[in-house]
Amino acid sequence: MDSKFTPRSRGALAFTLAAAALLSGCSAGSSKPAAADDGQPIEVWARAGTDASTTYAAMFKEFTAKTGVQVNFQGVPDLDQQLQTRAASKKLPDIVINDSAALGNYTAQGYLVKVDKSTVEGNAKIADSLWNETKGLDGATYGVPFSRQTMVTMIRKDWREKLGLPVPKTQEDLEKLATAFATMDPDGNGQADTYGMTVPGSTERGYMAWWASSYLWQDGGGYLKDEGNGKFSATASTPETQKGVTWIKQQFCTPGNTQPGALTAATSVASPFFQTGKTGIILTGPYNFSSFDTSLGGKDKYEVIETPKGSVDSTVLAEGENIYVTASNGKPEQTKQVINYLVSADGQKAGMTAGKQPIVRVPVNSDVDAAAVYNDPRWAVVQNALKNSSKAFPSAINFVPIKQVAAEALNKIVADCGADNVASGLKDLDTAINNELTNQNAKS
Amino acid sequence: MTAAPTKPAVTPVQATRSTPPPRRGKGNRAHVLAIWVFLLPAAVLALYFKFIPMAEGIRLSLFKVQPFLGDVFVGFDNYASVLTDARFMEALGHTVILGLTQTIGALVVGFVLALLLEGQAKSLWFLRTAIFLPVVTALAVVGEIWRILYFPTADGPLNTILSWVGLGPLQFLNGTDTALWSIAVVGIWSGAPYNMVIILAGLAGIDRALYESAGVDGATIWQRLRYITLPALRPAIVIVLTLAAIRSLRSFTEVYVLTGGGPAGSTEVWMTRMYSLGFQRNDIGVASAAAVLLLVVTLLLTVGTQLLARRKAER
Repeated sequence: MDSKFTPRSRGALAFTLAAAALLSGCSAGSSKPAAADDGQPIEVWARAGTDASTTYAAMFKEFTAKTGVQVNFQGVPDLDQQLQTRAASKKLPDIVINDSAALGNYTAQGYLVKVDKSTVEGNAKIADSLWNETKGLDGATYGVPFSRQTMVTMIRKDWREKLGLPVPKTQEDLEKLATAFATMDPDGNGQADTYGMTVPGSTERGYMAWWASSYLWQDGGGYLKDEGNGKFSATASTPETQKGVTWIKQQFCTPGNTQPGALTAATSVASPFFQTGKTGIILTGPYNFSSFDTSLGGKDKYEVIETPKGSVDSTVLAEGENIYVTASNGKPEQTKQVINYLVSADGQKAGMTAGKQPIVRVPVNSDVDAAAVYNDPRWAVVQNALKNSSKAFPSAINFVPIKQVAAEALNKIVADCGADNVASGLKDLDTAINNELTNQNAKS
Repeated sequence: MTAAPTKPAVTPVQATRSTPPPRRGKGNRAHVLAIWVFLLPAAVLALYFKFIPMAEGIRLSLFKVQPFLGDVFVGFDNYASVLTDARFMEALGHTVILGLTQTIGALVVGFVLALLLEGQAKSLWFLRTAIFLPVVTALAVVGEIWRILYFPTADGPLNTILSWVGLGPLQFLNGTDTALWSIAVVGIWSGAPYNMVIILAGLAGIDRALYESAGVDGATIWQRLRYITLPALRPAIVIVLTLAAIRSLRSFTEVYVLTGGGPAGSTEVWMTRMYSLGFQRNDIGVASAAAVLLLVVTLLLTVGTQLLARRKAER
């Protein structure tokens, strides 16, 4: 042996073997794994930061006290990236609570199993419109609604009253108010350092498209249209959408109507402008109520108004979270108990009040009244908007790429104030959206 | 050799066989073993964290990646979609402009700084440390600070200074024409001190007597720079250029923090495009293909720079 293997070659051999073992370990198996019960507590993941996680933890503590079922909960801020890692090891968490918009992506990746709506206790208390948002391209149900919300318009009440202006009822009013906030020194410090609207106009994560969608719908436009049977088509270059985008561009191109740097601002950069009293108008989610109350020094500093009307109506973007059951879930009985609790009146209330930040914003269970539970009339505005004039992004398809191309197109259009580029830019966007729909086999 | 030797000719192989080899005894074997033992931790780390992920990246670039359902082999489709994507091509243009501006800018500024701050005095040591600070500061922090400095209204810090000399206000990061240059300035600001240190080391190696004799011969400062300093600095400059070329192609953090690729895609670079495809659109296959292409270009560029330098040195 000694004569055949020098220490050097022996070392190299060991190395090769180790490398081969590692590599084969990395690429083991490519078929979908079977779901099996490993006897561990049911694992639940949700997209949640620190504050939301404490609410989830408190809620599941109540659940365990009631049912005796142990839950292993993880709040994961970068949920989709972490899910990819788990997917690679073929062992997803049993239940995932995430945006309703994630459904299309998850079904395309094969993460989810169908949910039988009739097995969910109290399924009739959840509106049919919400159940419809949990349908995949094949028409089957792939999730259970958990929480909903709409965007709301918030305005600096003290500024508006100081300038003696009325609550805006239309987009024109809103625009006038924005200009007034920028030019009439509403904070009275003698300097022109205030601006109208707080806009996350960055293309990052498609923020620009997310923010703009409400205003486009209010003029009867939009990015795409549901043609039924899991098919969609782009509507980005219709006259209605052009009208909406023209109004948005006007805001970017009137100095002061939007905050400086809006074109490259994600929400983390934009929101502080409102929080520090630099802007007076913001269109955002109601989860910001508590942080704005703190940073602005009280609820009376700003008001949550009914959404100003566009040329057609006052539609706002609705979003929410669903409960998803994953394909590697081997615990049907515990899963059922968790779902039943989460959508029950008790579970929904716990999600609203058990911790610092509500994880159930507007409850999906019609027995629970948000304004009453929070004892805060601002939530009634959200609840009404959700009921009467809201619209969600389609969840059956993977909407992320569409949001991304829309944000890139809108950002480009509003960045060039000198050019007459609304029609041409939207025509390109229309093509891009249709291409993406074709890629997803969802083009009508 | 054909002329009859007095002793029979022996081939080298025979020679090693017939004469006792240099003792490959216990001492030598232990020596080799020690080398491997010392090498092992680094090798394992490199294998695990560098070579395996690299191989995996190359593998993924040939697949439609869907971890749970199993990846589907698509050949070179991902490469085709990168190379035909208009936004990637735009990003390539921006990357090259940004890379060239930052590389040349940081080299010139670093060189000037090095000339100004060469010497032994305590005060110079303090100044050099202060100027080196941007290099050791996290780029994400640097980005946030420059975002504030670049605030695009008349009362933004930089615009205030510009107004003293009757310029501005400029849009900086918010303008499609100015955003890329604004990022380049941040890159130069944070990259130049690094170059300064390398060039300072080069300067220290130049014989002062050369300057003195040039001075005696009546050479101007410019001539001394041109014919003494620059030729002596060639190795240092080659290192700086090679490092800068690699670094500038991979520039990501400053762009991501400052503009996220906006406004209107005017600052989108290769890495930010790759990031948004891979992690925001979940298209890992295409993103991996883009990464492999970047690796190939970086490799070519590095080898190219080295070859060029070697040829120049040989001449």
